[in-house]
Amino acid sequence: MAAQSIAIRLQGISAVFHHERRGDITAVKNLDLEVRPGEFLTLLGASGCGKTTTLRVIAGFQKPSSGRILFGDEDVTGLAANQRDIGFVFQNYALFPHLSVFENVAYGLRVKRQGAALIESSVDAGLRQVGLSGMGDRMINELSGGQQQRVALARAIAIRPRVLLFDEPLSNLDAQLRVQMRSEIVRLQKELAITTIYVTHDQEEAMAISDRIAIMDGGLIAQVGSAEELYLRPASRFVAGFLGSANLLRGTVVAVAATMTSIDILGHRWELAANNPVAAGRPVDAVIRPEALTLAKEGAGPRGRVESRTYYGDKAEYLVRVGTDLVQAVQWNPSADDAFSEGDLVCVKLPASNVQLLAVD
Amino acid sequence: MNASVQTIAPRPIVRPGAWLWRGGLLGIWLLLLIFIVYPLLMLLSRAFLDDGHLSLQALGAAITAPKNLRALGNSLLLATMVGVAGTLLGLVFAFTVERVRSAGRLARLIDFFTFLPLISPPFTTSIAFVFSFGPRGLITYELLGIKNVQVYGLTSTFAAETLTYFPIAYLALRPMLASISTSLEEAAFSLGGSRWHAFRTVTLPLVIPALANAFLLLFGCSLADFATPLILAGSDFSVLPTEAYLQITGMFDLKSGAILSLLLLVPAGLVFYTQERLVAGRSYVTVTGKAGVLAQHDSVSGIAGAALLGFCLLVSALIVYFYLLLFYASIVLAFGANHTLTLDHYRVIFSEGLPAIRDTLIIALIGMPLGGIYGIAIGYLVGRTTFISRKAMEVVSMLNYALPGTIVGIAYLLAFNDEPLALTGTAAILIACYVFRYSPIGIRTTVALLQQIDKSMEEASASLGAGSLVTFRRIMLPLILPAFFAGLGVVFIRSMTAISATIFLVSINWTLITVKILENMTEVALGPAAAFSVFVIVVVVLVTSLLNVLLQRLTAPSLRVGRIGA
Repeated sequence: MAAQSIAIRLQGISAVFHHERRGDITAVKNLDLEVRPGEFLTLLGASGCGKTTTLRVIAGFQKPSSGRILFGDEDVTGLAANQRDIGFVFQNYALFPHLSVFENVAYGLRVKRQGAALIESSVDAGLRQVGLSGMGDRMINELSGGQQQRVALARAIAIRPRVLLFDEPLSNLDAQLRVQMRSEIVRLQKELAITTIYVTHDQEEAMAISDRIAIMDGGLIAQVGSAEELYLRPASRFVAGFLGSANLLRGTVVAVAATMTSIDILGHRWELAANNPVAAGRPVDAVIRPEALTLAKEGAGPRGRVESRTYYGDKAEYLVRVGTDLVQAVQWNPSADDAFSEGDLVCVKLPASNVQLLAVD
Repeated sequence: MNASVQTIAPRPIVRPGAWLWRGGLLGIWLLLLIFIVYPLLMLLSRAFLDDGHLSLQALGAAITAPKNLRALGNSLLLATMVGVAGTLLGLVFAFTVERVRSAGRLARLIDFFTFLPLISPPFTTSIAFVFSFGPRGLITYELLGIKNVQVYGLTSTFAAETLTYFPIAYLALRPMLASISTSLEEAAFSLGGSRWHAFRTVTLPLVIPALANAFLLLFGCSLADFATPLILAGSDFSVLPTEAYLQITGMFDLKSGAILSLLLLVPAGLVFYTQERLVAGRSYVTVTGKAGVLAQHDSVSGIAGAALLGFCLLVSALIVYFYLLLFYASIVLAFGANHTLTLDHYRVIFSEGLPAIRDTLIIALIGMPLGGIYGIAIGYLVGRTTFISRKAMEVVSMLNYALPGTIVGIAYLLAFNDEPLALTGTAAILIACYVFRYSPIGIRTTVALLQQIDKSMEEASASLGAGSLVTFRRIMLPLILPAFFAGLGVVFIRSMTAISATIFLVSINWTLITVKILENMTEVALGPAAAFSVFVIVVVVLVTSLLNVLLQRLTAPSLRVGRIGA
């Protein structure tokens, strides 16, 4: 069975690359991160944000230029990858092409000099867990991409690692298979209760599988939290814009009370039930998700003109010009009856909650 | 807290143990210094030092001597002609096999015929030329009845070298043509151009880098070719390699020989440099698995296709005719005079010639594994690891391969004649010559293989708990094993067939089949020469077939390795 789940802690990790022409490049900058025992944490970010480097530092494929890595209470910073007891699933699978499926999965156990009987039963169990029972004799090139990914997964968990690391494992699969595989990965991870770090650039994937997500930007962690926390309470404009789409509306705080904040926005006074970090009289950015806005023919609230309507089946997206601002609004389950056309004058209804206010420097 | 800041060089964490690593690196550098750098330095010092002083007098005298200038001019003329003609011939063959639909089934046959010159001893075509067009030649004398025909000279040398070397151009051009999608031609065709117009404006420009590369390859081969001119050039048409050989063996003038061989260095170096630049710089070609072999589009009209195919078959027939002639000459009493069937010549080569056969096989069989190991060792170091002298090692290890054999042979002769490394007269000098001259192909195969093996393969092994030695043994070694066998094959083929360098290095104790063939030719013992050639071809075909079967068995399915001999 799996060993006791352990926490992973990164303390002040930096990673510097030497580039022939551009000199030293800092891929990861003084990064702190704590992954809880048994947790599924995703590093999410655009390419070049340092997420893969962070993962490779944790795996031991790359030495950090400074900082410490702790697995539980053990400092593993000085250990090579083969001494860290990790399972790593690669983007390109990295299966050994000269070995059969069985031998690929058995590789780690053979390295650890396990007995033949134990290897046999462990590999069979591993292949069963990923739904590849009876495929042990196949060669790698006889498998589909999805099957190869399953072998890679079985190989990584066969050694019962302390830590499971994924580097964009699903990016080479087609959309349908990706959705199927990610739920299997989550199921396996919960079953084995292995502390897991998963790297991806796909925000939907990150939201679907993670206990918590760490959004990375420019070698730093922008924010860590559950999908819901990040979506509803982004700590910065970057996070607000990165996860889903958001209207960022500039306004001014008028008054602050215990549970209410009033701000001027889109030329309109607006009472909000929001925790406000900004003092009265100061400028503020309001993060409003498009689906939180509703459009009406008339009523109280800022008025604007519809610039475009895009129909997606399950929703319709509107762009509405309010003064100098362009506001995005989404209408779910749209029908012809409540549709607006280009040029229509509409009233934008602001929500009273699910709004995040960000201080403006 | 580990706060020491260090720069991360992109060096793999997975690597054989430190002591093994240092020792191996040092050992390989020692070998390179002894068997590549030292001989070349000896050659240079012999050419340019007089009593310990730098002197260009001898060089000046050499390059102003009309005889030598003529040899240099002849060498360049011959190499240019062979380069142009061979490239064109190679292009016609490659285009026919790749683009003419009716050639599909004959492609394998054409492949085999063009494979033959690549694995034959160097005199094969020349001997067949003499049999065919010589004073008592089958065509000139028997068929046409021409007496006192003059076969020796530029024309014969040019024709024989072109036929010998054009398969190299064919092999270089065919994958290029294959990788250019016919849809490009279809596009041009659909825009209203004629087929010829499509070929001229689309296909041809795309293969121009490949054509230039093929030309340079052939130019280099012809420039360095020693055997063909020795047999066919005659006394009036001297070239540098034979001139250098005659200076040394005829006049015992090592210094002049050394300088003459260095004259070769200038064009040879230029060719090698240009070629490296060309291959590195300009290639439009992406390697993708080409699905069906059948071309959907007719790149040429039916008549043109038939004409091209007919031409290729004609040339192939000529090659086959030469080989049959060679075989025939080996089983008749005296070709051109007495055509009674006999096995006498084979009896001769297996009795009087037996020492040469035995020596050649021993040298080839010892050189094979050494060359194979040397090839993957340097290939792995250069292709997969980072160390300070990596680039230097890559360049130095290629030197003996890039240089004409004459230069290498004379350099070895100068370096290993005296203490401290008196190897002259031993088998070791011949083995070393072959290993360091022909293993670079193994090195390149290893590097090419390693490029296909992602670094994540080693990381995956490490993540599963394997140390660097285990990773090397269980993952990397099996994956680069095909390069080992490719290296074995090349060293074996060359040990059986090469002469340009080793002609300077044979001795009473150790001689080679190729040298025996040359002796037979000069003594006009044509029968044994033919029998020796047939024997070499049979052995090489057998061994390379065996190695190719092994290669296919051992290569992991997703990796690509070229055929041995190609």
